[in-house]
Amino acid sequence: MAYEHLLIFGGVCVATWCLVIYFWPRLLLYVYKRGLLVKGFGDGPVPINTLYTQPQALFADPLHVTLPAGSSNLMSVGTNRDTLYVVGWLDLSKGPLIFCVPDMAGRYYSVQFTDPSNNTNFAYVGKRTTGTKAGDYLITGPGWKEPVPQAVTRISSPNNSVIVIGRVFVENNTDLPAAYGLARQMQLKPLSH
Amino acid sequence: MSRTYTYFAALIGVICVAFIIYMLFFAHTRTVRSDVVQGVLIGFGMAFVTAQAYARLKATKVNGWITMFGLGVPGNGMLLRAAHAQLFPGPVNVPQEAMYWWTHSDGASHTLSGQHDYIMHFPAGQLPPNDAFWSLTMGDARNHYVPNPIHRYSVGDHSGLAQNPDGSVDIYIQRIAPAGHESNWLPAPVGEFILWLRVYIPGQAILDGEYKVPPVDKVR
Repeated sequence: MAYEHLLIFGGVCVATWCLVIYFWPRLLLYVYKRGLLVKGFGDGPVPINTLYTQPQALFADPLHVTLPAGSSNLMSVGTNRDTLYVVGWLDLSKGPLIFCVPDMAGRYYSVQFTDPSNNTNFAYVGKRTTGTKAGDYLITGPGWKEPVPQAVTRISSPNNSVIVIGRVFVENNTDLPAAYGLARQMQLKPLSH
Repeated sequence: MSRTYTYFAALIGVICVAFIIYMLFFAHTRTVRSDVVQGVLIGFGMAFVTAQAYARLKATKVNGWITMFGLGVPGNGMLLRAAHAQLFPGPVNVPQEAMYWWTHSDGASHTLSGQHDYIMHFPAGQLPPNDAFWSLTMGDARNHYVPNPIHRYSVGDHSGLAQNPDGSVDIYIQRIAPAGHESNWLPAPVGEFILWLRVYIPGQAILDGEYKVPPVDKVR
């Protein structure tokens, strides 16, 4: 009986056990990364540091929109039927980004900022947390120490990669164009000096 | 958390444990290569079983509805995050922003199916407390939307639900439109289905775990 074999097997087994549990959320969100940056939701891949707004047709009737082959179905399967989605993948390694929201005039909306390394939401912009007035937010990566421009609220990300998921409430189909117009006004731009 | 999936997780667990026992007491001639390969495979299996078991331990199940607290909250711990990923796979909201429940069974623990008619009855004043809105969404067995003549995939406080005279609300979950109750109809597919309840900016009673989602009751 060779104990070294038991030790090797046991060590590898326990290490894999812990690593898989630790990395499970990251592996899960890799599907979302691929959906965004590689497959896209019908209009081709969504470039890094840009926002994709769920089209009105896809929200109005997801069953009657045919997506091109190879598209991700993340915007049409298992989604909610209450809000338009605005999604994007940020890379802050080349500098922070300014995230602008328009005046939502009391309409419910939320924007979650998710750390893709562990699937936790480190910040929110939206009716619950910041109100519905127009606002500019500076999203900075770890270690960024320069001064924040005036009239801009800073959001510090623990990771250079960030998933942004915005949700803009749609009351009904009549309200859809208004909601879409507001959702489209959520924008990302680089911080210019 | 379907029964099939539970059996599958349990089977993987039994295989892993049996293999570890076999390794401890019966293994003789082996190579380092097989040690590593089998270690990785069994480690993977144990991780899956652990996450599934912990998800069942931490899930809150009331009237067949399943939810979990602490989704997406920073510092919720790696084991809980892995468990969350089992039952709520995706970048979902923190509880203060939105709470999610899903079910594939009625109040009597039978699998939901379009072969039956169901009513979800909210007593007067017992609609989900919130500071935004709530909705109930239908999905087929694969969580896809269900084709229906009125193109309705969810109902909620902004879909024009009618109240009963006593202030309660009934949602008719069935394949054929309920005569006289079309406004409260959530169309079901022919086969099995699941339901999602979402409450945005949930009230304190929900966050405290005091609010109980009513069961989906079979009426036919």
